[in-house]
Amino acid sequence: MAQIKNRLTPFFENITFDREDNELVLNFGPQHPSAHGQLRLMLHLQQEQIVKAHPDVGYLHRGMEKMAENMIYNEFMPTTDRMDYIASSSNNYGFALAVEKLIGLEVPRRAKVIRMMLLEINRLMSHLFWLATTALDIGAMTVFLFAFREREYLMDIIEGYCGARLTHAAIRIGGVPLDIQDGFIHQLRSFLNKLPQNIKDYEDLLDTNRIWLMRMEEVGTISKDMALSWGCSGPMLRASGFKWDIRKEEPYELYDEVEFNVPWSDKGDNFARYRIYMQEMRESAKILYQTIEMYERCVKEGQTDLMAHSPKYISAPKLDIMTQNYSLMQHFVLVTQGMRPPVGEVYVATESPKGELGFYINSQGGPYPYRLKLRAPSFWHTGILTDLIPGHYIPDVVSIIGTTNIVFGEVDR
Amino acid sequence: MAQHKVNYTQDGGLPVALTSIDKIVNWGRSNSLWAMTYGLACCGIEMMAAGASRYDFDRFGTIFRASPRQSDVMIVAGTLTKKHSEFIKRLYDQMTEPKWVISMGSCANTGGMFNTYATVQGVDRVIPVDLYLPGCAPRPETLQYGVMLLQKKIRANSANKSQKPKRLM
Amino acid sequence: MRAYKAKDDVQAKAYYTDRFYVSPQVPKQEVDTDAVFSSDLASISAKFEVKESFIQVGQMVVYINAKDIYGVLELMRDSLEYTQLSEMSAIDWLAKDNTFEIFYQMLSMNKRKRIRIKYFIDNGQAVDSVEKLFRCADWSEREMFDMFGIQANNHPFMKRILMPYDWQGHPLLKTYPLEGDEFASWYEVDKIYGKEARETIGPEIRDTARVDRYDSQRFARLGFEVPKGTNITGNEAKNEQNYQEDGGVFLVSKFDKKTSVIVDDPQR
Repeated sequence: MAQIKNRLTPFFENITFDREDNELVLNFGPQHPSAHGQLRLMLHLQQEQIVKAHPDVGYLHRGMEKMAENMIYNEFMPTTDRMDYIASSSNNYGFALAVEKLIGLEVPRRAKVIRMMLLEINRLMSHLFWLATTALDIGAMTVFLFAFREREYLMDIIEGYCGARLTHAAIRIGGVPLDIQDGFIHQLRSFLNKLPQNIKDYEDLLDTNRIWLMRMEEVGTISKDMALSWGCSGPMLRASGFKWDIRKEEPYELYDEVEFNVPWSDKGDNFARYRIYMQEMRESAKILYQTIEMYERCVKEGQTDLMAHSPKYISAPKLDIMTQNYSLMQHFVLVTQGMRPPVGEVYVATESPKGELGFYINSQGGPYPYRLKLRAPSFWHTGILTDLIPGHYIPDVVSIIGTTNIVFGEVDR
Repeated sequence: MAQHKVNYTQDGGLPVALTSIDKIVNWGRSNSLWAMTYGLACCGIEMMAAGASRYDFDRFGTIFRASPRQSDVMIVAGTLTKKHSEFIKRLYDQMTEPKWVISMGSCANTGGMFNTYATVQGVDRVIPVDLYLPGCAPRPETLQYGVMLLQKKIRANSANKSQKPKRLM
Repeated sequence: MRAYKAKDDVQAKAYYTDRFYVSPQVPKQEVDTDAVFSSDLASISAKFEVKESFIQVGQMVVYINAKDIYGVLELMRDSLEYTQLSEMSAIDWLAKDNTFEIFYQMLSMNKRKRIRIKYFIDNGQAVDSVEKLFRCADWSEREMFDMFGIQANNHPFMKRILMPYDWQGHPLLKTYPLEGDEFASWYEVDKIYGKEARETIGPEIRDTARVDRYDSQRFARLGFEVPKGTNITGNEAKNEQNYQEDGGVFLVSKFDKKTSVIVDDPQR
């Protein structure tokens, strides 16, 4: 069949494949099943060993920072979903918290508890997804099917809350839009009761698996200096010997009221990261049990507020909008013109499942942010591949990319 | 010699089924649609979920293949950016005929919510598309329904006709 | 007469602002209200000129001179325990006074403090790369170059990172429209099919509210589908969509609502 004509020349046109120094250039991506998205790596090989790696990103750059400059603050909320689309609520939360810090809002306690529940459910979803895909890349198909099974249960719970499986937009600036639905607690509890056994199942399959150990242990070791210098955060940093969790060190929401441990390791290799992810799932479950208790206490004490009361920035509850003239006017202005935060700037970091998710907002008093910078952890976790991969062999690349847990919606924004 | 009376038209008369070439070829094609893993963004996660435990795509004969040369249908799941657009064209060209394209999700259909400088406003500006799935992101059920509609489309066309190379221009 | 539109800032503008509206300020505190910050500031200002400093939302903001950045960050990393560069980027003030504002977000894990170092550069001026101090600045500075066109001196690989290498324009400048310029709108067509294909493929449709029920080229009405290119009169017969032909397909059993079970609880 005739080749369909187009203007594209082969991409490797300018690369000398066979060079005098016996170096081979291998192109990996941007569409590779184990690249976790659209990562492109140019690998320089000496025999099977990689001597130079050049990650190329930007294949999912959609211009979110530019979009933010052209949107009112509430309008931008659904766009943050598409950053780290495996744990959307954590992005919603990061943005909402940044705007709340900017305008100095205090969120009602019941909303805080619901937010924490959503955040931890998202962390579990993200870690389960990480386990599934990484295991699949390394060849453990069963773990993929197991982990996706549990993830679907969590997605059902989230879907019952906000109606979406993946892109939640479940958190608003100033609180949460809805109370949790009937049966949420029951579903969550029955899931959490099953979870330890499920995690044990995964570990039984993987922990002593020879292939898994060979692909994980002593592979992709990140030293302390390297982790600092590359701005690593989250599990990547904790695996390299820093006990740094923003939930613990700079507590936001009610994280200072709950008991949980921060797993960390000083090995820095793939296996350490895997262990940290597994342990963090257990810690998340621990936090979720406590938030259920906190929620029930809120109900008992009769706290019903879900949104902060701040007529200048936040719309009134729907009942007021429907019944009271002034609330309706205020809602109309806030929807059509948008809230106008004070002049100033803020940088707020939250601990997303991937690491430190930061939002830098520069407001000039208008309804649109003047500049919004998204500090996505995966961006630097991709950058570290430049220094991390050389010295390893080709199969190790897949397991290293797997354990860095990069999501390209977040890398490229 | 014994005289046998065989009723060819009844079931079990002979292990023979009469059909036309068109139908048998299309039957084979429609029930073994091997999809290319083209997960670009969020929709790719839902595509994976469609292939995983609960939704189990394998029962449709849809198995995800990593190579364009082994696949029949390209499920473009996610935002296509301008930087990536040349690669989708190249991968589409590498697929063997007959081939079909499912554009999954708003971003692939029209650019969706990303009305920006970096997003291609619909993959149909680069490659021809057979089926558009709405949603942001579409549920796995939507993708399953889409694949079933595509199977119907394949059966509705004559097998030979779809051998004509599809091209945008 | 057409209304005048500023060319130096083509971003979305508030369509109505009250004449007497004075926007409030995010409160700023003096640096000496915090012991850690004031000692850090003292050691920075001992060696380098500090133009302005205050605490805002719990983080110290320090304005310095552009030429001092490498020295300041080195001092902070080596003696003040600010070991991580979380983030750096620029803010476009070209419309106001033809400058860029660069910020570096620093984190100290031992002190649990964050400091933002800032300085202004003129349009066209290059910044000093801090890639030798923090490897993550390698990518951040590339991103800053990509988005704003700010060059970094002594950078090992000063090329675009998010946009393609052959891209024109710097997207985050305020002069760059959200929906892209002429080059951006034809980028993929020009690159794949060539300029002569522009007419065949046609311009991008960016009007998100555009729906034309009589257009059968681009739109389909659910239940009233017609072949592509048909003239729609509005009297089309309802087309019941089902995924399988009525007669069924060889060897594939047809889904029947009567013989199937509806699962109420997916977690049964």
